[in-house]
Amino acid sequence: MFVGTHNHGQGHETAFAQLVSERTGLDLDNIEVVFGDTRRVQRGLGTFGSRSAVVCGPAITLACERVIDKARNLAAHMLEAATSDIELKDGHFTVAGTDHRVAFSAVAKNAYSAGGFGEDGREPGLDETAFHDPQGFTFPFGAHIAEVEIDPATGVTQLISYTAVDDLGVEINPMIVEGQIHGGVVQGVGQALMERLCHDDTGQLVTGSFMDYTMPRAAALPLITSERIATRAQSNPLGAKGAGEAGTFAAPAAAGNAVMDALASAGVTHFDMPATPLRVWQALQAR
Amino acid sequence: MYAFSFHQPETLEEAKRLFGESDDPRYLSGGHTLLPSMKLRLATPSDLIELNAIESLKGISIEGDNVVVGAGTRHGDVAQSADVLAAIPALADLAGMIGDFQVRNRGTLGGSIANADPAADYPAAIVGLNATVKTDRREIAADDYFTDLFETALEEDEIVTAVSFPTPVRAAYMKFPNPASRYAIVGVFVAETAGGIRVAVTGAGASVFRVVEMEAALTVNFAPEAVADILIPDDDLNSDIHAANDYRAHLVTVMAKRAVEKALG
Ligand SMILES: Cc1cc2nc3c(=O)[nH]c(=O)nc-3n(C[C@H](O)[C@H](O)[C@H](O)COP(=O)(O)OP(=O)(O)OC[C@H]3O[C@@H](n4cnc5c(N)ncnc54)[C@H](O)[C@@H]3O)c2cc1C
Repeated sequence: MFVGTHNHGQGHETAFAQLVSERTGLDLDNIEVVFGDTRRVQRGLGTFGSRSAVVCGPAITLACERVIDKARNLAAHMLEAATSDIELKDGHFTVAGTDHRVAFSAVAKNAYSAGGFGEDGREPGLDETAFHDPQGFTFPFGAHIAEVEIDPATGVTQLISYTAVDDLGVEINPMIVEGQIHGGVVQGVGQALMERLCHDDTGQLVTGSFMDYTMPRAAALPLITSERIATRAQSNPLGAKGAGEAGTFAAPAAAGNAVMDALASAGVTHFDMPATPLRVWQALQAR
Repeated sequence: MYAFSFHQPETLEEAKRLFGESDDPRYLSGGHTLLPSMKLRLATPSDLIELNAIESLKGISIEGDNVVVGAGTRHGDVAQSADVLAAIPALADLAGMIGDFQVRNRGTLGGSIANADPAADYPAAIVGLNATVKTDRREIAADDYFTDLFETALEEDEIVTAVSFPTPVRAAYMKFPNPASRYAIVGVFVAETAGGIRVAVTGAGASVFRVVEMEAALTVNFAPEAVADILIPDDDLNSDIHAANDYRAHLVTVMAKRAVEKALG
């Protein structure tokens, strides 16, 4: 399967292969997901806007249905039955109500073997291409709660707990979705509490390495609780919603407001992210 | 990184001879400071003389009331040493706060104090405990060893061989780490030693320094309150994106207070 989206850690190899496996009955190990290789993939736009599952997913399932139709037609020929009597189950095409069956792989082999696809005008091969143009956006929503503690003596902010409840529609792979939430939350927390690009008076970047640019690290974070509810999205056949950025949207607001709430109790009326120790301490001095 | 010649002597004499014969030599221990600066072409030595094969630089021993740590000893080994944990737990604690696992598994005591980074942790323990730096040719008292920003009393070809730390009555180290690098923004070592109370501060200035006012206050009353209101002047303190100088001065007080609490257990 060649896809025009790009995977760089979001688990497309797994989730997209699942879409194909669920529909064809093929083993996950036999499905290769190819992306990001301009020599093999004809066109693509990459991945952005939490849209890979939502936009690419339906194109995948559409292409799957077309491939299955072609294969069913050929399986009918091989099993000497009517196409309408052929069922696809567990990776096999079966004549309904009988134990006559042929494996998907055997059909695929015939589709590319001279003479294997019959003589009655059937098109050889199983390849299909599909595109999907989403009719409108998806609207994931949720509520995130961050609890922070600030040490007034040092200005250090500690994230104590983080709970995220999101509605991301139908999830292809809940474990991957949970990982996306965790990753997004950490990125958002980084933005709220530590990450900052700084330049000196001459325009030189002074946060040019991780010795000065603070990335969130596992040790600085609590365990993140992620719960989900699922309302089907109406704008795509999978019912999926964008998940990748859900955490990054919510976390800066949740963590940033938690910091502001704590500082407000000490009389601070305005505070801009990020809540680095120095900035928090300065805000407490200035009140 | 530019090309260089690499030597691995097994004795101090050989190391010094190689140093004398080379154009622009540098000793190499853990390499966690020297190699990154070579990669950035900030250092371009003609010859690297690695000290890790010299057995006499390794190991930790107890000599009377002193814990003697070889210059080639890795931070991780100091942090886990049963001898150090028993005699000077504050020193093991400090070594365990340096950088991360990778850094502690490579970086050495000798490399750290020869480099004399203003944000390094060991200088606080050396000055705080009134330790003695031993070299291939002499012994240097803690108060004379660190002279300025990245400057020490060492001569050009002088090799640190060990540091002798006197066992204190009690001691503790508190570190406020740089949130990105984990180096000390401010580190305060407080110790009650045979020769009196010592308070040593690293990270805040160009080089480690003592706070005599705090030492005097703790001599009268070894309690957190004794230092809680002592604020050091911030004129000569470091100032950067992570910590302005007034914040550093404030952190010295906070860390000193917490170090006293920790020393009292
Ligand atoms: C990511 C990172 C984080 C770090 N965080 C901390 C931290 O939190 N706290 C901290 O204190 N340090 C920190 N360090 C520094 C580290 O702990 C080492 O102590 C330091 O790099 C120097 O030790 P080294 O053995 O690696 O020396 P090297 O890099 O091998 O040498 C450093 C200098 O000392 C000289 N030298 C080496 N050994 C001797 C000797 N026996 N006699 C005379 N001269 C010698 C070398 O010629 C060179 O000029 C960090 C380093 C890194 C890379």
